[in-house]
Amino acid sequence: STTGESWSLTLTIIYSKTDFSNPKSGWEAKVVEFFKDRLKEKDAHTWVPSLNDVPLHYLKPNSLVKFRCLIQDMFDPEFFMGAYETVDPSTNAKVLRCGRYKDVTECGVSLVDFNSRNTVTAERQTFYCVPIPGENPWVKEISSSLFVNAAPYQARVVPSTSYAPTRQKRSYEEDDMDDMDTQPQKQREPHSGINSSQGHTEQHGNGDCKRQETEAPSSQTASASHLDLNFPLPGEKGPSCLVKVYEDWDSFKLNDTLEVFGILSVSPALSALADEKDASSSILDPTESMETAEEQRVHSPPASLVPRLHMLYARPLPHNNPLLPSATLEDNSAFLSSTLSEMASVRAELLTYLTHVLLGDALAAEYLILHLISNVYARRDVLPLGKFAMNLSGCPAAALYTQRFYQIIQQLVPSSFYLGMSLQNMNQMRLVPKKDYVANRLVSGALQLARNTFLFLDETHLEQGQLDTTGVRNVTALGNLISWQKVDYDFNYHQMEFPCNINVLIASEGRSLLPSDCQIHLQSQVSPPNMEEYLSNIQLHPQTSSQLNKFRIYLSVARQLDYSISDEMTKSVEDDFVDMRKDDPQSVSAEDLHRMLVVARLLSLSLGQTSLTRDSWLRAKHIDMLRRSRMEQHQCVNGNEP
Amino acid sequence: NNSRDYFQERMDKCKRFLQEFYSEDDNGKKLFKYGAQLVALAHREQVSVFVELDDVAEEDPELVESICENAKRYTGLFADAVHELLPEYKEKDVVAKDSLDVYIEHRLMMEQRGRDPADTRDARNQYPPELMRRFELYFKPPTTNKPKVVRDVRADSIGNLVTVRGIVTRATEVKPMMAVATYTCDQCGAETYQPIQSPSFMPLIMCPSQECITNKSGGRLYLQTRGSKFVKFQELRIQEHSDQVPVGNIPRSMSVYARGENTRLAQPGDHVAITGVFLPLLRTGFKQAVQGLLSETYMEAHCITLMNKTEDDELGNEELTEEELRGITDEGFYEKLAGSIAPEIYGHEDVKKALLLLLVGGVEQAPKGMKIRGNINICLMGDPGVAKSQLLSYIDRLAPRSQYTTGRGSSGVGLTAAVMRDPVTGEMTLEGGALVLADQGICCIDEFDKMADADRTAIHEVMEQQTISIAKAGIMTSLNARCSILAAANPAYGRYNPRKSIEQNIQLPAALLSRFDLLWLIQDKPDADADLRLAQHITYVHQHCRQPPMHFTPIDMRLMRRYIALCKKRQPMVPEALADYITAAYVEMRKEARVSKDTTFTSARTLLSILRLSTALARLRMMESVEKEDVNEAMRLMEMSKDSLQADKSSATRTQRPADVIFSLVRELSTEGVAGRGGAGGVVRMAEAEQRCVSRGFTPAQFQEALEEYEELNVWQINQARSRITFV
Repeated sequence: STTGESWSLTLTIIYSKTDFSNPKSGWEAKVVEFFKDRLKEKDAHTWVPSLNDVPLHYLKPNSLVKFRCLIQDMFDPEFFMGAYETVDPSTNAKVLRCGRYKDVTECGVSLVDFNSRNTVTAERQTFYCVPIPGENPWVKEISSSLFVNAAPYQARVVPSTSYAPTRQKRSYEEDDMDDMDTQPQKQREPHSGINSSQGHTEQHGNGDCKRQETEAPSSQTASASHLDLNFPLPGEKGPSCLVKVYEDWDSFKLNDTLEVFGILSVSPALSALADEKDASSSILDPTESMETAEEQRVHSPPASLVPRLHMLYARPLPHNNPLLPSATLEDNSAFLSSTLSEMASVRAELLTYLTHVLLGDALAAEYLILHLISNVYARRDVLPLGKFAMNLSGCPAAALYTQRFYQIIQQLVPSSFYLGMSLQNMNQMRLVPKKDYVANRLVSGALQLARNTFLFLDETHLEQGQLDTTGVRNVTALGNLISWQKVDYDFNYHQMEFPCNINVLIASEGRSLLPSDCQIHLQSQVSPPNMEEYLSNIQLHPQTSSQLNKFRIYLSVARQLDYSISDEMTKSVEDDFVDMRKDDPQSVSAEDLHRMLVVARLLSLSLGQTSLTRDSWLRAKHIDMLRRSRMEQHQCVNGNEP
Repeated sequence: NNSRDYFQERMDKCKRFLQEFYSEDDNGKKLFKYGAQLVALAHREQVSVFVELDDVAEEDPELVESICENAKRYTGLFADAVHELLPEYKEKDVVAKDSLDVYIEHRLMMEQRGRDPADTRDARNQYPPELMRRFELYFKPPTTNKPKVVRDVRADSIGNLVTVRGIVTRATEVKPMMAVATYTCDQCGAETYQPIQSPSFMPLIMCPSQECITNKSGGRLYLQTRGSKFVKFQELRIQEHSDQVPVGNIPRSMSVYARGENTRLAQPGDHVAITGVFLPLLRTGFKQAVQGLLSETYMEAHCITLMNKTEDDELGNEELTEEELRGITDEGFYEKLAGSIAPEIYGHEDVKKALLLLLVGGVEQAPKGMKIRGNINICLMGDPGVAKSQLLSYIDRLAPRSQYTTGRGSSGVGLTAAVMRDPVTGEMTLEGGALVLADQGICCIDEFDKMADADRTAIHEVMEQQTISIAKAGIMTSLNARCSILAAANPAYGRYNPRKSIEQNIQLPAALLSRFDLLWLIQDKPDADADLRLAQHITYVHQHCRQPPMHFTPIDMRLMRRYIALCKKRQPMVPEALADYITAAYVEMRKEARVSKDTTFTSARTLLSILRLSTALARLRMMESVEKEDVNEAMRLMEMSKDSLQADKSSATRTQRPADVIFSLVRELSTEGVAGRGGAGGVVRMAEAEQRCVSRGFTPAQFQEALEEYEELNVWQINQARSRITFV
């Protein structure tokens, strides 16, 4: 069979057969090749247990595991002994051993000969990885159900809904929304000693969480209280991991999403090391104090809490939708063609559904679909192409419409985050990641998100008041994110620009104070007195899971499609633009053309068309015209009102 | 034994070098650089000696190579060599400088007293050399040694002498670190010395002296702080510069150990170049056993140089290669450079040229203590959505030193500076705003028109005097703000109204506007031809996900930065012969301004602007003097910028009828009245109106005509007594 354990056995065999003394024997390449080949076998990866689903204490040390994660921080490279020699003190027998994919030397009674000529110093890189921030419960649920080899872990594969339930649960309940505002603050108080789970229990005391606490092994909770796992989003849970990369680490970038296949290492010696270091501080050794306690805690956290994963192979994830086949779309033409043929009909269904959700406004629903499949597909200098930040104005303040709306979207997209733009949140939250030079790590912020995360900014929460320095900085950061799709991380002495690809939707009553690529004013077809009832009906509206899954697949596939414009179409678009300008130069600017081309692109993709047609262009023009006339109309109404 | 001979031979080489190296001064006199230092060392007047590897290379290039590869070993060799040479250079008795000197002196004397006079062995040999040495020896890297990026220092650099650049992110306090531990035995009183190489050590416990061992008295050793030698020790952490980091990566950092004289040289935030030996950190004891596999690394500092963060430091000092220069300076380089600014923004060639000149800057003049700024200020105005912000953002990225802010100011400090009370200490501190932070650079201010009033007054000073004066909370000072200002402003009424003056359009006082060398109005004008080209540009971007092919490839940002830095070094002069030409041109412009109803104000400032622009153009050509073409181009740009303000030529040239002007004057009067009398809007007294119009050069007849004309149009009504005009 191809279980992880037997693979790790294979690895041991490879080890024993290899001549490490010859660094050019190329055995590393062979090992990696071996695993890549195995993993390419049909659905082979479903046999490997995932750190995302299986609690750490059920996994065997030194076995092969996988981890779906985001690179949150990159540490400095470390030097290790790629090969070392041990000497048995009684027999003086020397054995050459391999130091790769290990944290601790294995020598038993014998000692490591540090002066051996055969020692090979090698270099590896450590990434601090966290589960993909804002990953929605349905993704976790489906991913864990794909794990076929569950038998050995039976009853241990914690259904991910209860494994990481706090976030989405909280957003269901209105009074919890405010707690979310204060939460990040609490967590970041350096020595408050409240970790997220404990803090949560204290605040809510709800039975669900208590049960969880008792389930977790005691050692974990004990050490967790000292450690901030540095999740980008408040209230997140799940394992974080120190991933050791042996090859090609320059190809990885911060905030990349990966599925890492590697060897799990949870040696208790790693934690002992940290303890020892804390205890010993001697004036005779000033270098000891250099690595501060904080730094030590961050860089060598207890392995029971932050396991080490020695990477064999990593698969970059273009998306984290488990419903799509793992191979790229091009490689899976059967799947692609079957989806493409259905796209138009699924789109119609989705449009009906979203129209219903958007209080009967079909145009807004159309734009919402476009927004949900938008994607920054290219960048030229400062200009990101394909972004489509949307401002949904005219949201009814009543009955927590925006929250309900977010919950519905949450069911459709793989990762999302709800950010209530209350004054308190703006003034207190950490949105932009910041380098902490004391602990020597990048303290995460809510804007450190994976690609194509759906960021919902709820401006209906905003009230009049004073923004302080943090608040202004946060609002600026949001503005930059929307306009340039970049976040300037704070490195204290300078800032560094990190490009991102985040779908931002701003819900507001009037026009948002943040910029956006397109603003659409919601025209409710529902009379306000019935709003409450209407909304609760949406909530209750049963969506069969097969239909939901169709929507989910549709949205992810539409985003992955390639797109092109023929020369012919280009010509006609150009002529169109000149004509429009001729009639009324004020009506359409270069910016409008930019936007209309984006709309046309998204519209074509939403219909499963991979190139622009005359019809799509006209339709894009048409809906953009409708949208703009609605805005003007709206402004006029305001102007004439007393 | 072979290796010992080898090192003996090497050490002799080192000795020879130290003794014999000399340079000749202007008079041909031999200066023994190291000889002189050895004398100073022997007399304890100097603590550290730097062996410059450039000097070594003159004598023995091969030795330099060995030193760079095995720096730690050679530090020891050179130190031994100096140690052996020192007695020869001692010319007089030395006064003890600290207790350790006294201690060493005593030991040497005691030793000599108790010794057989026939024995000529050097007395100091018994003591570890580390204890007796009171000097420090460091290497200064050869100039051929290019500084490395932190991320390029890899395992293969271990043991090498490397130079890295970076920013100091952490510096510990300076602490004493034991170099030699001295113990005394409680039984026999003998002293034992333990040189310490690694950061941690295992203290000796049992007395190793002959007496204790033969007597088996089990003497215990006690550490003697007075007799031990400590060195100053500081650990730094440096992080690579942001421009050395590949996109999407976290900057790497590195630990640096500084000892002795190298401590306290750098503070967090400093930009430094550090040369040192890259070494693995040896851990002992339990840690080694467990961790085993890992070895931490650090850099043993030899030479720490502070760098002020000027452009050339950041860009690397390397000159542009011939090839790169040729690539830039060929035919039409001016257009090419300008076109390379924000290539994703279509058109606006002249605006881009102006921005290029802003980046290069004019030459600062200081005749007889009067300072005339060389920085060029530009204001871009225009309808919303004409890529003003994009241009600003690009310049912000391109300029080596710049600040991007909005007129509203992004923090409490605002644009200029603020006095803040430190919440912890209660001290007053001065915090610089964007303009101060952009000193020697460019300050991009978006939404210039929405500036806070306090900033508006201060910015007058910045733009001409290039300083900011503060007189607040007992702090009176003047901060430098030698920056070029690139401002973007939106028209007051949403769109630029060409029929109104600039002041009215932008709602900025003329005094402030005149401080801009160039005011540029970017307008969105319909023009079928231009529209088509624009559409082609945009559709191309969308079709091919990249820029349309231009008749040239845009110059890479880095190369551009380096070229601009190179240009800035030039200080072109205006030759005598051109002065007349410029004066004549200026006089002509003044004349023209008087004749035509000009929207901008032509003043002496205009003349200075022309000079600035021409010197910037000369700099761009890398010439030492301004030529006539530069002046012409400068004037052309001025002219173009004026043209842009006049918006639609056709409508602007149409002179307004007197009646229309009179109407607007009366209208103005009526709104003034509202402000003055509070509410009685729309009513103007006839006498007042007439007086106003006559004072503007209209005849009473024209006034009456206008009154009737507009009454007929039912714009206003005139009462029976013809004493009041009431607006409808």
